[in-house]
Amino acid sequence: MLEISGTGGNHWYAPGVSETLDALEARISALRGEIRRAVRARDGALARELRAELRGAERAWDRAVAGPEAADPAAGTTERAGEPASLLPVREQVHQALTLIGAPAAARMIVAVHAALHAGSLGGGRLASLRRDEERSFRGAPYARPYYLCAALTDRLSASRGLFAVSTWPLERRVVGPLSPRVDFLTTAVRVAEHVLRLAEAGEPAAPGAERLLARLARNVPGATGGPGRPGVPAAPDPRTVVKAAHAELRVHAAADAAARADIAGRARARLGDAERLFGGLPLGLAEASC
Amino acid sequence: MDRLDRLRGPEPPRPHDARAIAALAANPGCARRAVLDAAGVDKDAVATHLGFPAPFGRSPFAITRGDAFEALVKEGGGAELLRLLRELLGLPLPLAGYTDLADVGGNPSAHLRHSHTRRLIDRAARDAGEAATLYDHPLLRLEIAGYHSYLEPDVVAFQLGGRFHIVEIKSFAVVDGQAEPDKVAAAARQAAVYVLALSTLLAELGHDPSRVSHEIVLVCPENFANRPAATLVDVRRELAVLRRQLARMTRVGAIVEPLPDTLTFDLGRDDGGVPRRPVAELRSAVREVGARYAPDCLNTCDLCFFCREEAAEAGATDLLGRQVRDELGGVATVAEALALADGSLAPDDDRAEIARLLRLADRLYAEVS
Repeated sequence: MLEISGTGGNHWYAPGVSETLDALEARISALRGEIRRAVRARDGALARELRAELRGAERAWDRAVAGPEAADPAAGTTERAGEPASLLPVREQVHQALTLIGAPAAARMIVAVHAALHAGSLGGGRLASLRRDEERSFRGAPYARPYYLCAALTDRLSASRGLFAVSTWPLERRVVGPLSPRVDFLTTAVRVAEHVLRLAEAGEPAAPGAERLLARLARNVPGATGGPGRPGVPAAPDPRTVVKAAHAELRVHAAADAAARADIAGRARARLGDAERLFGGLPLGLAEASC
Repeated sequence: MDRLDRLRGPEPPRPHDARAIAALAANPGCARRAVLDAAGVDKDAVATHLGFPAPFGRSPFAITRGDAFEALVKEGGGAELLRLLRELLGLPLPLAGYTDLADVGGNPSAHLRHSHTRRLIDRAARDAGEAATLYDHPLLRLEIAGYHSYLEPDVVAFQLGGRFHIVEIKSFAVVDGQAEPDKVAAAARQAAVYVLALSTLLAELGHDPSRVSHEIVLVCPENFANRPAATLVDVRRELAVLRRQLARMTRVGAIVEPLPDTLTFDLGRDDGGVPRRPVAELRSAVREVGARYAPDCLNTCDLCFFCREEAAEAGATDLLGRQVRDELGGVATVAEALALADGSLAPDDDRAEIARLLRLADRLYAEVS
């Protein structure tokens, strides 16, 4: 994806310098207009995207005006300005990240995975109101959308703090027993490692962010980093080792976790309506009753 | 209790947090602090009204940094924490349960959260098989001078040999195995408050309070990276000081008894909450209770600037630090010490020894300079 953005960035100043500058200036003023409209429409998310794009265009203008020798194409490849992928709505981006993670995840993890594996940045703050918006949308017109970003359910059948899930997942995957955070963490490590592996097999260079994320995850999976001999040395872990080590610990937890999840899911099916099953039930009464 | 209420005035008592309770243990000899805290007086408001606002409230940057580090340690079901506990305490692999005790849905009261914590800790202590290993955001309660204070330790870890360990996450760095002693001491004092609260809870539930380990797990960033590292810190001494101090607070009556009946620290707030009491009157009220100023107070007490000013006015030896004050036992002011040193004040029997030392120091000083 970075490759594409690189060529996309380059073509602005490929022909003549003055022509490029004209085109860039036109783009800059068009972007400013769009930002004004977005701000007026109170679409903060879109305005931020556009501002990022504007900054990119201005940097390109700076490079172009400084002369061709400064317009280093290598610098262009790291620019993410004008990335079409990042103009996807936030919920799409979150859905992509969650689908990759394959387990309920906190906003931090979603942002980290998204930043590492997809181009474009996803601000953590933008996820804050997402779950509430989704709930409102669902209650207004149930099942009108193909999927909803919903809550993970705790053992009191209330919405878990800060965890996002996808409504199309089976209920067992969306509930959180005592061991589930650990299991979900290991699942995340496996999925990220597999993703890096897939990229490597397809001959794509893994994004540096992805390697970093994998290293960070692997550090907390016993046996996933080359051995305990070199503490503190950030070696790039082998994705295959990570998958194997994470599966080894997953096997330890599997039975106990599955039982806890089945129990919670069963209670949720018996007691909760459609909307509550997705976005969490009434917390207080149940908290007293079920504990 | 009426007496303390009268001292405080019509305002509701100020709840203590772990930091404030830990600060109590830092200067056990200070009657002023003991009385004001026992009465639940808002010391910050008093200090501000006296014209000596305290330099407190941590920097927002420090708070953000602390929160970010804590989030990092607890991320992914306490993934970092599990690694640290496995390395440090040999926590076996299957024990990886994580329960967020703050997760009771919505934004419930401290009381509800506390009873939820109680229930789950009770279950854990009763039946180790069903317990989770990490309890995040537990809400404990400690009775301070007749009032309940709610305390929130970072994490309680369980099942390390059937015992509960308090985990304290701090964002100061441990460089090459060394950390600033002040900060470690402060963290240990704070953790001791949690240990005490948790063992009180276990005792209330009818379990053995010694199942709370007196070794706490301190998690800090290691060296210059953001990577967390864990160490065990023994807080037995802090715990003993804290117990004594809290016992003293419940016996605060002995300190309050000789004070005049009409004494109050009421700020005389008007309807808009603005303090209207004359400053001179409040000052003399606060001075009725003796303070024991030490330079460390600057780190822990809201009234520190007021007490420092008072000590400076009197030329007290307290200003020179605890060690000097203790060496100069019985000599209250700097002027007195100097007079004893140059012989212009004849020492009585009690102070003959210290006068001899001071004159010796004076002679040495004269030779050197």
